[in-house]
Amino acid sequence: MSATTLTPEQANPWEVTARTIVYSAIGAALYAVAAQFSFIMPGTSSVSLRPAFALVTFFGFAFGPIPGFFTGLVGNAIADQLSGWGLLTSWNWSIANGVVGFLTGLLAIWLARSIPNRAVLAGVASVVAIVIGFVIVLSDVWLGTAENFGAAFTTGYFPAVWTDALVAVILTPILVLAWDPIRDAMGR
Amino acid sequence: MNIAPRYLGRGSWLARRDPRLLLLVVALFVFAIVQVWDVRLLLALDVIAAAYYRSARIPFGQVRLLWAYIAFFVTVVVFANTLLTAGEVRAINEAHLHVFFRLPLLGTPISAESVTYAIAQYMRFGAMAAVGFPIAFAIAPGDIGPAFARLGVPYKFAYALELTFRFIPSLAADMRTTIDAQRIRGYEWEKIGRGPVGRLRRTVPLLVPVTINAIVGAEDTIDAMDLRGFGTGPRTWLRGLAFDAADWLTLAGFLLIFAVVTWLSFSGLTRLWVPPFLIPA
Repeated sequence: MSATTLTPEQANPWEVTARTIVYSAIGAALYAVAAQFSFIMPGTSSVSLRPAFALVTFFGFAFGPIPGFFTGLVGNAIADQLSGWGLLTSWNWSIANGVVGFLTGLLAIWLARSIPNRAVLAGVASVVAIVIGFVIVLSDVWLGTAENFGAAFTTGYFPAVWTDALVAVILTPILVLAWDPIRDAMGR
Repeated sequence: MNIAPRYLGRGSWLARRDPRLLLLVVALFVFAIVQVWDVRLLLALDVIAAAYYRSARIPFGQVRLLWAYIAFFVTVVVFANTLLTAGEVRAINEAHLHVFFRLPLLGTPISAESVTYAIAQYMRFGAMAAVGFPIAFAIAPGDIGPAFARLGVPYKFAYALELTFRFIPSLAADMRTTIDAQRIRGYEWEKIGRGPVGRLRRTVPLLVPVTINAIVGAEDTIDAMDLRGFGTGPRTWLRGLAFDAADWLTLAGFLLIFAVVTWLSFSGLTRLWVPPFLIPA
């Protein structure tokens, strides 16, 4: 398969098959499990890096918008539930994660011809999706988690975008480069 | 590391309820409490949340760390908001604040309003967590799929939700096995790398094999589902769910709470209320 052709999952990204369901469930479960491993950024008091976030962009990129959306939405909600924060306490953040996975899947399709290199495409699609998708967390102002838009931007949107973009730029292309040869060998 | 959801509330009053009730209650309660800043009303909602939480009989010793995490996170939220908004509370102008003192260097005013706001934040998040815990600990893992399907979620997505919960214990075990296998090769994931990039790179030997193994291993599940004709027609669930009188009464109670709070909110009666004893003479 050449680098610019679409994967079978991307050829018809809206079809929901057993494969879509299982990849979505695997992605969400992996994200929920791996999200328990995170670390505080050196030099900050509360900004944490969550390497598992790369799974949201990876599943969106590799398997399409639907598994990407499910991985972000359900994976983040269950991760919050497992950590004690609650399934719906930060439901807007779960939606933002889902939208990032969804947009990564869409951008991977739309930009496939413009950016032939899959690793670069994964990085670009992920970063653009993160910048757009996390705008949803500004709804923290309405929920009362942030006092005003300045606080929502400074404590929510900006740290989320730059830490998750850093994670996605480094880890998503690595996951794509690891998965692509295996996918080709499996004939998928 | 115990990541798998634990059925700690087994046999409790709440665990005997229809699982759909627990999901609906969380949604109704969260959407009600986010409208409230008045600590008197929040106190009433906290009492309701505490009673609901107690009915799940979740042993405190098993969830102590989770409560500590919530306390820490809410503290961070409260302090970040106080510092970054320079003491502005719920759009109250600084001229109208009852200031106790100002923080050194930053000059942020600590006022009766900001103290009340902080208390309200703890009360809101504490109540939301108390109502949310039973979803993790008082719903039988096998009831997740049927519960969402019977709530109107398309059956394919309800099945994906059930699969997610079923995959979590095995993927957590895979994660532990991979950590141990990499340790034998001299890899220590906890070791600090050089800067954020170095720390992220240290997760690669853990994240990549677990992810790729999980995807490759999923082929068996996909084949099994295809062989059973998954997706060819509407799916039925072996587990039957039915609301009993207690379920209907509880749901009606939380619907009433949501309706009353929404009405109070539209009437402007849920805004921040500062207790008179906090206001300096």
